Amino acid sequence: MKEQLEALQAEALDTIAAAADLDTVEAARVKYLGRKGAVTEILRGLGKVSAEERPAMGQLSNVVKAAIGEALDSRKTALSSVADAAREASEAVDLSLPGRRPSQGHLHMVNQVTEEIIDIFAGLGFQVAVGPDIETEYYNFDSLNTPADHPARDSHDTFFVKPGVVLRTHTSPVQMRVMEQVKPPVAVLAPGRVYRVDYDASHSPMFNQIEGLLVDEDVTFADLKGTLMHFVHQLFGKETKVRFRPHFFPFTEPSAEMDISCTVCGGNGCRLCKNSGWLEALGCGMVHPEVFRHAGYDYEKYSGFAFGLGIDRIAMLRHAVPSINHLYDNDLRFLEQF
Amino acid sequence: MRISLSWLQEYVDIDVTVEELAHQMTMLGLEIESIEQLGEDVQEVYVGQIVAIEPHPDADKIVVCQTDVGGDAPLQICCGAKNMKVGDKVPTAVVGATLPGGFAIARRKMRGVESQGMMCAAQEIGLADETDGLLILEEDATVGEDIRVHLGLDDVVLEIEVTPNRADWASMIGVARELAACYGKELRIPEVALVEQGPAIETVTSVTVEDTERCPRYMGRLLHDVQVGPSPEWLCNYLIAAGQRPINNIVDVTNFVLLETGQPLHAFDFEKLAEKRIVVRTATQDEPINTLDGEARKLSDDMLVIADAKVPQCVAGVMGGADSEVGEGTTTIFLESAFFHPASVRKTSRGLGLISESSQRFQRGADPEMAAYALDRAAQMIQELASAKIAEGVIDAYPEPFVPREVTLPYARTLRLLGVDIAPEQQRAIIESLGFEMLHHDDTAMKVEVPLRRHDVSMEADLIEEIARLYNFDNIPVSLPRARKCEKVFAPNEQRIRAFRHYLVSLGLTELYNWSFSNDDEVQRAALPASYRTMVVLENPLSEKQATMRSSIIPALIGNGARNLNYGVTSVRGFELGPVFAPSDGDELPTQGNRVALVLAGEMEGAHWSRSARAVDFYDMKGLVESVLEHFGVVGKLEESDWETFQGGQRAAVRVGKHVVGTFGRVASAVARAFECDRPLYVAELDLDWLLTKRPGATQFQTVPTFPPSARDLAVVVDSVVPAGELLEKAAQSGGKLLRSVDIFDIFEGEQVGVGKKSVALNLVFQSDERTLTDKDTQKAVDKVLKRLKHEYKAELR
Ligand SMILES: [Zn+2]
Repeated sequence: MKEQLEALQAEALDTIAAAADLDTVEAARVKYLGRKGAVTEILRGLGKVSAEERPAMGQLSNVVKAAIGEALDSRKTALSSVADAAREASEAVDLSLPGRRPSQGHLHMVNQVTEEIIDIFAGLGFQVAVGPDIETEYYNFDSLNTPADHPARDSHDTFFVKPGVVLRTHTSPVQMRVMEQVKPPVAVLAPGRVYRVDYDASHSPMFNQIEGLLVDEDVTFADLKGTLMHFVHQLFGKETKVRFRPHFFPFTEPSAEMDISCTVCGGNGCRLCKNSGWLEALGCGMVHPEVFRHAGYDYEKYSGFAFGLGIDRIAMLRHAVPSINHLYDNDLRFLEQF
Repeated sequence: MRISLSWLQEYVDIDVTVEELAHQMTMLGLEIESIEQLGEDVQEVYVGQIVAIEPHPDADKIVVCQTDVGGDAPLQICCGAKNMKVGDKVPTAVVGATLPGGFAIARRKMRGVESQGMMCAAQEIGLADETDGLLILEEDATVGEDIRVHLGLDDVVLEIEVTPNRADWASMIGVARELAACYGKELRIPEVALVEQGPAIETVTSVTVEDTERCPRYMGRLLHDVQVGPSPEWLCNYLIAAGQRPINNIVDVTNFVLLETGQPLHAFDFEKLAEKRIVVRTATQDEPINTLDGEARKLSDDMLVIADAKVPQCVAGVMGGADSEVGEGTTTIFLESAFFHPASVRKTSRGLGLISESSQRFQRGADPEMAAYALDRAAQMIQELASAKIAEGVIDAYPEPFVPREVTLPYARTLRLLGVDIAPEQQRAIIESLGFEMLHHDDTAMKVEVPLRRHDVSMEADLIEEIARLYNFDNIPVSLPRARKCEKVFAPNEQRIRAFRHYLVSLGLTELYNWSFSNDDEVQRAALPASYRTMVVLENPLSEKQATMRSSIIPALIGNGARNLNYGVTSVRGFELGPVFAPSDGDELPTQGNRVALVLAGEMEGAHWSRSARAVDFYDMKGLVESVLEHFGVVGKLEESDWETFQGGQRAAVRVGKHVVGTFGRVASAVARAFECDRPLYVAELDLDWLLTKRPGATQFQTVPTFPPSARDLAVVVDSVVPAGELLEKAAQSGGKLLRSVDIFDIFEGEQVGVGKKSVALNLVFQSDERTLTDKDTQKAVDKVLKRLKHEYKAELR
């Protein structure tokens, strides 16, 4: 039996080595290791072997089975990899052919910047507040210390719906609506559409603004500076320089305009910054006592700061857009660039 | 306002560079618009004296001059001008000179005669004057002197933007005062000492002020024997630097003093005044006046005028009348210096659409005290420059003198508002340096009197601003306030709107942003239902195209789609979230709502080498609308819409429960054509405010299947008119609890299925949570579905 098994092993290994395809390997498995295969056939004679020899024969048959099995597996692996390689070679693609791109939508530039600004101030505890686009003259002007004959109204060319009702010229009326509803502390941001009778390459009759307001018992001009500097550094980068200079707004006192170092020349002077190295970024100041009076806040007890910035302008600076009119042209060739 | 640096130096010593000065002015709130170096483009031009003039041998219109510019010998210069004579001094550009506009002077021959330079007219060296001929300089000009030095062209002009609160800055003295305070220098205000002659003014004329509210102060002086003529060069140069054109010595003096003091003055030709007296009154309705700018104007009865006994001679504070204009024949002038009420001047200026140097100053608030100084200053200058005699006395109608305000500032308030501790002495020094009078001060507070020129200072915060400005904003420290908790949430939907916007972008849509305006024509072209045609109307629209506030975003999106297709954009996929408006009867303000609008056009799937492009169709828009509804956790039902905006058979109203949430469809051909588009466009608009009321709760867990699904196809033939959606619905209802999903994978109409019939192929997916399904299980379910479809629609198995 020992000779039989050894001869079978030799024959099987030769057959397997000669197998040219996976089917032949499978047939060899059936022939030698199958339920009715040659090894089983030989082991049928195990009963005739003496009891002393039987364990050795059993062991030998397992060795033979293992050797044949191993040869089968390795031949199969070898043949598979040849077959895979042939198939894969036939499936090679042209790497340079264009891929299928999922279609990509684009958020409008104004909202990209608005969201970024909101997130920066949200980190400082500001929340969003909204108000109507069509406003009363009271909220838009009078409550903000800008009575009818105030010269500051000249710079706000206002759309009227009827006497006393206007398209808001800024989102500042939202601060009054907010202060009427709650006592300090108040920390809000009011983004939204605003309207002015003005239309040329640098003016759109509708544009977007964000107004910010912080009121509490101990808010100072130093806080205003710190808050807005933090904002600029977040939005434009730490290297951006910031300058506050006195200005005039009816609803703040003291009032300031904040400039940032030119985004094009970095402060050396260029056409964009009219060689000054600075770009006007926003208006701000400490809330005027008259505004607090209209809100029912006690000026002796509370102080606060407010700021208002043109989102369009910030967006245009960031993306070097030459004219505001691109923003509202709704030309997909423009919008899909950003 | 244009600030000439050399003129400014008359009032305050400036010993810093122009750049430092500009920076300091900026930090004081005097915003610098531009810095202009005058004469920069005038090089190598000198004062020359013509020593000989001879005719040109070959040309009638040219003469050959010998002009001395201080060199070894005179230069030979050919010249076409006629207004010069031997001995005249003229600006002379030598070879190598450059003139404004990059014009360079070279040696050249004119008709055979060498010319070694050019003698210049005023405009050739950049002066505003446009008179013909050479600029003849004054006799005492120094030959050989650089013309820029001689004409004061070597000046720097800082153009500043004066904020509306600071009327006092619209003057040289006002700016000088600010700089004197800032640099700790002395402010020099020119001294005035008048020599009065002749009869007392009140014996010659009278002033009646009928409206003292709008004209609280009216002053006047009379000047006789006036010699009207050109102003001296220094005066012309200052005015030119300030951007004004010299006219004659009288007008120039009033303009000069206005720029110097900020006080507008007006000179009347006294002889032209009826009854030789002044009446300050309101105009009658439609009363005519010819103003100095050459316009014939009609006044209204709320405008203040300076009249003679009969007719208006001046629109008070705005502009003089042509009838009493000072000209060559004028011998006696009445010089006016007044204070008009700011609001009144503003209203008149706006009413007439007429803005002047004078109106701009009065409407911001002039200085009632400066009126007196400016009047005397101008009188003295006219006396000197026009050899006039000043009549004795001054008219001063000032029945109720202004009382200066008094403001108290506790020092601690400065710290509280600015966040920086400035010593009381420093606070007081700053306030005093600006000309405020210290009435009282102690350890805790100061009390000051506010100069009448400072209309902007009336309370403690205003004084703190002055301190902050002069202390310099740069010196105020920087701190970051702590986060504060507000008791109310003001925009609870903000995050959800943002998430929705991003969701739409993730679906491949690009956000559009249209103006909120609309107009009747646009709404009609879009064929919106009648209710949309009642819009909020603007009283003063920019143009007819923006006459109303939009009632819908649809017209804008049709327009956007059309335009982009016309631009050649192959795939238009856009959305807009934004407001719409409607008039509201009862409320003070119109109604405002938020909508989401969608537009699809062109290709839905772009062409690729592996497949051809697929055009957008109705089902792309339907799927998009369904996705939007699903985002808000609602399921809508489509109903046939009757909107004429959309083409019949491809339009739907979206109903959720009892509420119609929106409408969508394919834009009707006629509507598309009205928007200049001949290609399919699909548009939708949904009520965003309503959708935002739907708050899907947290999605609840469902068992993840462990046993494999089993799919079966079922093709049935039904009448063509049977809506496929109903087959889906009935199949879903009848498929039993093992049916997980049902979908349509093919629709076919043709001869094979018979006329008026269609084949609908359903794909049914079954699955159990407990076991692997057998063919028997699924067949049973499919049979049930088929039975139901047969029963309801006479469906035949195909
Ligand atoms: Zn720059």
